[in-house]
Amino acid sequence: MKISAADVAYVAELANLEVGDGEKDALAHQLSRIVQYVEQLEQLDTAAVEPTAQVVADGARAERRDRVEARDGSSEAAETVGLFRVPKVIAER
Amino acid sequence: MNPKRAPIAELARDYREDRAEASDVIGRTMDAIERAEPGLHAFVSTRREKAMDEARAADAAFAEGRPVGPLAGIPIAVKDNMHIRGEPTTCASRILKNYVPPYGSTAVDRLRAAGAIVVGKTNMDEFAMGSSTENSAFSPTRNPHDPERVPGGSSGGSSAAVAAGLVPAALGSDTGGSIRQPASFCGVVGLKPTYGRVSRYGLVAFGSSLDQIGPLSGSVADTARILQTIAGFDPMDSTSSDVPTPDWTQALDAPIREMKVGVPKEYFVDGMDAGVAERVRAGIDRLEGLGCRIEELSLPHTEYAVATYYLISTAEASSNLARYDGVRYGLRAGGDTLQAMYRRTRMAGFGPEVKRRILLGTYALSAGYYDAYYLRAQKVRTLILEDFRKAFESVDVLVTPTTPTPAFRIGENIDDPLAMYLNDIFTTTCNLAGLPGVSVPCGRIGGLPVGMQLIGNHFDESAVLRAAHHFEQDGGFDG
Repeated sequence: MKISAADVAYVAELANLEVGDGEKDALAHQLSRIVQYVEQLEQLDTAAVEPTAQVVADGARAERRDRVEARDGSSEAAETVGLFRVPKVIAER
Repeated sequence: MNPKRAPIAELARDYREDRAEASDVIGRTMDAIERAEPGLHAFVSTRREKAMDEARAADAAFAEGRPVGPLAGIPIAVKDNMHIRGEPTTCASRILKNYVPPYGSTAVDRLRAAGAIVVGKTNMDEFAMGSSTENSAFSPTRNPHDPERVPGGSSGGSSAAVAAGLVPAALGSDTGGSIRQPASFCGVVGLKPTYGRVSRYGLVAFGSSLDQIGPLSGSVADTARILQTIAGFDPMDSTSSDVPTPDWTQALDAPIREMKVGVPKEYFVDGMDAGVAERVRAGIDRLEGLGCRIEELSLPHTEYAVATYYLISTAEASSNLARYDGVRYGLRAGGDTLQAMYRRTRMAGFGPEVKRRILLGTYALSAGYYDAYYLRAQKVRTLILEDFRKAFESVDVLVTPTTPTPAFRIGENIDDPLAMYLNDIFTTTCNLAGLPGVSVPCGRIGGLPVGMQLIGNHFDESAVLRAAHHFEQDGGFDG
């Protein structure tokens, strides 16, 4: 699959990245080469293979009771680094 | 390298027997770092005053005969993607400028609780994405063996600091080889433990199904000692395992006669440096000479590991790095709308490689491509894991080269992302399969260190450390 400058612009929008017009062609070229490389996975028949999301050895996963434990992260944060000023995230109507 | 060396154990003994003072050792360490830094760039920040305070406290404890931890007064460097409460973490990224974490990472907290003194935070590829430390937003780290060459990455600051003799050990993190590859390039020991062995609480996430923290140091004994301190269950990391931690330092001397060592033929590929293959083959002969039973075997899906890794790791990274939006961390760029602020912050804050990987990962996860790329990679991950499962039915450890070449020149691969990715050809498999792997020095080519990788079964760090220790004691580090 060849990735076009328009693909780069679309994916950048999904990823909340601003990509300058001057960068799009270079990125399209680099990403095309990488995507063409990873497409070698198509050589394998994976129809009957289950996906692996994470490898945790058999019997190695620690479990805990589903119980709320008190932990006040916000006051720890305030104590260590003071207060946070955040931008307005709710638009005015 | 003197095979009998275990600098941490030696320094700990000197403290106990009153032959050294922590304030003197830490003071000299800080001076040495200051002298080396202009040419080396191994550190993002140093902690002279805090480290000196901690050293004086250690000296007082020794003088008054109070109980001290096993690492009391030992200088340690920490990769700058692990938190120390109330002190900056940058991940070598502009986007984390001025970020101060309100909590400490479990691995670093455990080292400090054992008495270790963190002298500074080490340089790295931005967000641990890279194989050369050239992607640091600050300055590339140089290889102590040849300043024109990279130290490897992404834990290149940690490996360079150890190789330059500034600290006896450092912590790194390894998502696709980021401890083992720089250890190999710098001629030190670097261990990626089993997935789940060391808590990642307080480690900045890159690829969450792959990331693992581990030590870099000058000897296998010191590596085991650091692992002993940082390993074990932590309720703060849901991937942390409660499998018991054996006494690795005690286990090192157990004999390796009759140990079954597999040599996967796919790790000796066309196009790799002939000298590297030769040094690693000589290392395997040495293990045979030590009584190991060598068996050639096949891990048939090895050639697909890099492609699988770059799909899975970038997909996970694109998700993990979505949090850096200018609201909660460090840098915030201006913008008329919230959306514009997000985008401008991320544009100004991330370097080119991080942006490239976020784009690749977002692409692999996007509608219409998810099945073809991300899901397929997860399935191939299963095949790679199955290869190892079968191999470990007949052998105790696997031996391979760590990298296909010795350290390359600064700038050599920076404009060719794919060439840079192919440097990880022998290291990503351990992460995909969750296995422990250690890189140890096995001689040099033209003055540049070569690394040999030993891979063990899940939670069998003992086998790889034992084999590595005997290899070291036999003089194997010198080739």
